[in-house]
Amino acid sequence: MRHFKSQLLLLLPAAAVYLFFLVLPLWTVIAESFRTFTPGRIGAVAGAPLTVKNYTEFAGPVYATYFGQTYVLAFFASVIAIIIAFPVAYYIAKNASASVRKIWISALVGLMFLSALVRIYAIELTFGSVGILAPFMSFVGVNMNGTAYINIIIIVGLLHYAIPISILIMIGAILNLNPRLTEAAQSLGASAIESHLSVTIPLCIKGIVSAFLVSMTFGVSAFAIPWILGRGRVQFISNIIYSRFSEVSNYPSGAAISIIMLVLSLLMIFIISRIATFFDRT
Amino acid sequence: MNVLELKDVTKKYGEFVAVEGVCLEIEEGKILSLLGPSGCGKSTTLRMIAGFTTPNSGTVAIAGENVDHLKPYERNVGLLFQDYALFPHMTVEQNVAYGLRYRGTPKPMIPSRVQQMLSLVRMLGMEARYPSQLSGGQQQRVALARALATDPQIVLLDEPLSALDAKLRLELRIELKEILRSVGATTIVVTHDQEEALSLGDEVVVMHAGKVIQRGSPIEIYKAPADKFVAEFVGRSNWFCATRRGRSSGDLSSYITSNGIEIRTRSAPTDRRGSADLCIRPEHIELMDVTQGVVSDEPDQNLLEGVVVDVAPLGADVHVVVDLPGETRLQVIRKNVGRIPTVVPGQPVRLCFAASDVLVFPT
Repeated sequence: MRHFKSQLLLLLPAAAVYLFFLVLPLWTVIAESFRTFTPGRIGAVAGAPLTVKNYTEFAGPVYATYFGQTYVLAFFASVIAIIIAFPVAYYIAKNASASVRKIWISALVGLMFLSALVRIYAIELTFGSVGILAPFMSFVGVNMNGTAYINIIIIVGLLHYAIPISILIMIGAILNLNPRLTEAAQSLGASAIESHLSVTIPLCIKGIVSAFLVSMTFGVSAFAIPWILGRGRVQFISNIIYSRFSEVSNYPSGAAISIIMLVLSLLMIFIISRIATFFDRT
Repeated sequence: MNVLELKDVTKKYGEFVAVEGVCLEIEEGKILSLLGPSGCGKSTTLRMIAGFTTPNSGTVAIAGENVDHLKPYERNVGLLFQDYALFPHMTVEQNVAYGLRYRGTPKPMIPSRVQQMLSLVRMLGMEARYPSQLSGGQQQRVALARALATDPQIVLLDEPLSALDAKLRLELRIELKEILRSVGATTIVVTHDQEEALSLGDEVVVMHAGKVIQRGSPIEIYKAPADKFVAEFVGRSNWFCATRRGRSSGDLSSYITSNGIEIRTRSAPTDRRGSADLCIRPEHIELMDVTQGVVSDEPDQNLLEGVVVDVAPLGADVHVVVDLPGETRLQVIRKNVGRIPTVVPGQPVRLCFAASDVLVFPT
């Protein structure tokens, strides 16, 4: 019992930090989200009447578009990232020698340290409407100001982060895989592809789901990518939150949308984890 | 008809020669044990037969057809892995059905075939279990059912019993042999465990340093090992380094060790004088009390004297260690049946073994 108590002490610093710097601010945001906002003021007046108007406001179709854009683009980016990253992770985990694996891992980690802003502007300067590829794009008839094109560029921006993190997460899952299993599958008549589909991927499902969730979390909370690459034509929820707080100073509205996003994301994680657990038979 | 034929197969990994010029053929329905220490090339040979490794030279033929260009899944070879490699995310039923699914068994036929295989390995009623819910022995049965389900031309067993504890090993060994015989599977057992090799195989192939050293029945391998390596690797043995002293009488030869012990042997392999390694199996040595009167010195018997160092009663056998004069140590194994003389450490004893039981390997 004494032992248990002393172990609880180890959790104390983390608990204190979480309580003061996460739970408390979050509580402030929740409280703010239920206050009535008077236009022209900065934030809600202390003691302003309680309301749910800040929430009901987002039920309209206009906001559905923003939520849709955010979650759909993040979803596609995450799926594409998994599809691209899995074979690379498999190669690094199974076929690369120890030294080659080290080089790959440092390169991937290095890629993530590169400033996000630098990468986004690099994409804009290359694929944007004034980018170096602009003459070529107009030559092949691509409308660089069309929403479809902008959506694709945003997905590309999200992939910059999602692919390396997905590879790194999935390497671990694949390394844990018993190589005899794919050999057993092949000795039983399954081709290389069939054995991966029926054995490798089901057994890596935990790693795949983790990679997906991390990419998705990053994607839905992305701010600079849609801000710069979206050029106002495509906006993510983060951009709306920013403008509510910083441009119109409607704190209650910004707080409400933040809470909606938090709940949606938690719901998403919960559902996906449940699905993954259902399929994971190991 | 040979189901499998390896012709002059060589596999190199860089400078290292894993398998060198191995020739091997196996008749239908026979069980062949591939025995050797780790790193002798037996696993590489197995992987080349299964198609996971490609030989640098030589050919592998299954049922008379060259399979060098065939991928593992294009060969009909059943594999039983040392760690069973059951698919952890599939039930027993799905594991056994896996090969049937991919080898094109018509779907309606699969359930009855799975039932047939599970009844063969006595695992009926376990269909819905996952491998993690099975004991080691049960996992092994399922793995065997999975490997045999597609009716493979050759079954390869990689150290099939090494992951089990000693008691279970004996049980499963007998059952494994029974099952393989009942389905008439042509089988290669790859193992470093001599007991496994000698008990399972109709024939045993001993490999060392990438080469086949000897092929023969289990009894031949034990009684007439081709060289010192085989004699040492298979069974227990006592060794003497000795020099020939010329013929004593008839077909008996006499050797003398560096410690001055004289050992008589039969079946002199060569006439030339020279040194040889002499081997005597522990169970061929008779143990007698020195006080048991004088034993007549027969010319075809060896009679040595020594002192007991250790006695280990191991149930069926009693292992006795005896020191001879001049720092030579001998192992003696006596059957624990009837009235065996009890010996204690420190007791002087007489050792007796027939000249015909001494194996001679000229050096």
